[in-house]
Amino acid sequence: MAVEHAVVGQLAEHAAHTSSESGGIPELPNLISVLSERFHEVPAVAFLHHWENLVFSCIVALALCLIAWRHARTPAMIPRGGQNVLELLVESIDTFVRSVIGKAGRQHTPFIGTLFLYIWFINLSGLIPGMKSSTSSLNTTLGLALVVFCYVQWVRLATLGPLGYLDHMAGSPRLTNPWLLPIMIPVHLLLFGLELIGEFIKPISLSLRLGFNVFAEDVLLAVLVGLGISAGAALHLPFGVPIQFFVIPLVLIFSTVQALVFSLLSSVYIALMLPHTEHH
Amino acid sequence: MPQSYQAMLALTVPLSLGLAALASAFGLGRAVSAAMDAIARQPEAGGQIQTAMIIGCALIEALTIYVLVIAFVLQGKIGG
Repeated sequence: MAVEHAVVGQLAEHAAHTSSESGGIPELPNLISVLSERFHEVPAVAFLHHWENLVFSCIVALALCLIAWRHARTPAMIPRGGQNVLELLVESIDTFVRSVIGKAGRQHTPFIGTLFLYIWFINLSGLIPGMKSSTSSLNTTLGLALVVFCYVQWVRLATLGPLGYLDHMAGSPRLTNPWLLPIMIPVHLLLFGLELIGEFIKPISLSLRLGFNVFAEDVLLAVLVGLGISAGAALHLPFGVPIQFFVIPLVLIFSTVQALVFSLLSSVYIALMLPHTEHH
Repeated sequence: MPQSYQAMLALTVPLSLGLAALASAFGLGRAVSAAMDAIARQPEAGGQIQTAMIIGCALIEALTIYVLVIAFVLQGKIGG
């Protein structure tokens, strides 16, 4: 009985320690946080702890590269096994992107597909014990949103040219009746200002949505694990009651949905960039 | 009205969460009911409608999640 209490007490103490670190918000321990608690004087461990999110996202990126390299190295005409799964993924993402952007969407499929797979795998990797989803931190999601922002602005500049870019933002003053132009100038300036603000809101909302969703899932799991440990201690069990298993299907669904929404919104922003001249 | 800011926080943080959940329930209810009507009208478009419904629900849910995170941040300040 004393051994069980000691084990459960140690678990609860570790959970409390990690939560007091992040300002009262409980978080599940991962490999790096466990290491850094024991060996925080070692410079290598301090380095890993400082760049915790980057390390985990690099692990996921390496895993994706390994999977792609192993299965797509020598493509066969009739796909089998891993190549079949990869082709299924690529084809469904291609259909998805083309349904949003139209026929010209095929050139944007690599970007959107990479975004979707990367975010999806990072979100799912948080469920593996010992790992943490990097997207739970706003730093990672803001980086991803900035990449999307730069890509979208570049696509617009490349398809419309610099004059067409400003023109598109101002609501196409080149298409208005020349007689009405002096009266319409304030309207176009207002439209320009609104669209400028909108362009900056888009990456902010993308990053906040993804980051807060994944963070909330992490905290939910951590709170349930803490409750399970307290329940286990109350029932005199040597382990905690695994309540968090009831929530894991919800976490799986939401991780996939958030990755999907991020890539869908990115493709919608790309589609909005293309000229829609039948507007007026 | 409570005098200390902690008591005020303890009063308003759960209220705000409840309000966000209420508003989100209204919005999601409307979205899902519209999706069900559409599927009942045209069962062969069911897959597309389901996908669109899931994406719409994620966008509505995001607003509630914003409130949840602020609640997490503020509840750490209660209790000194």
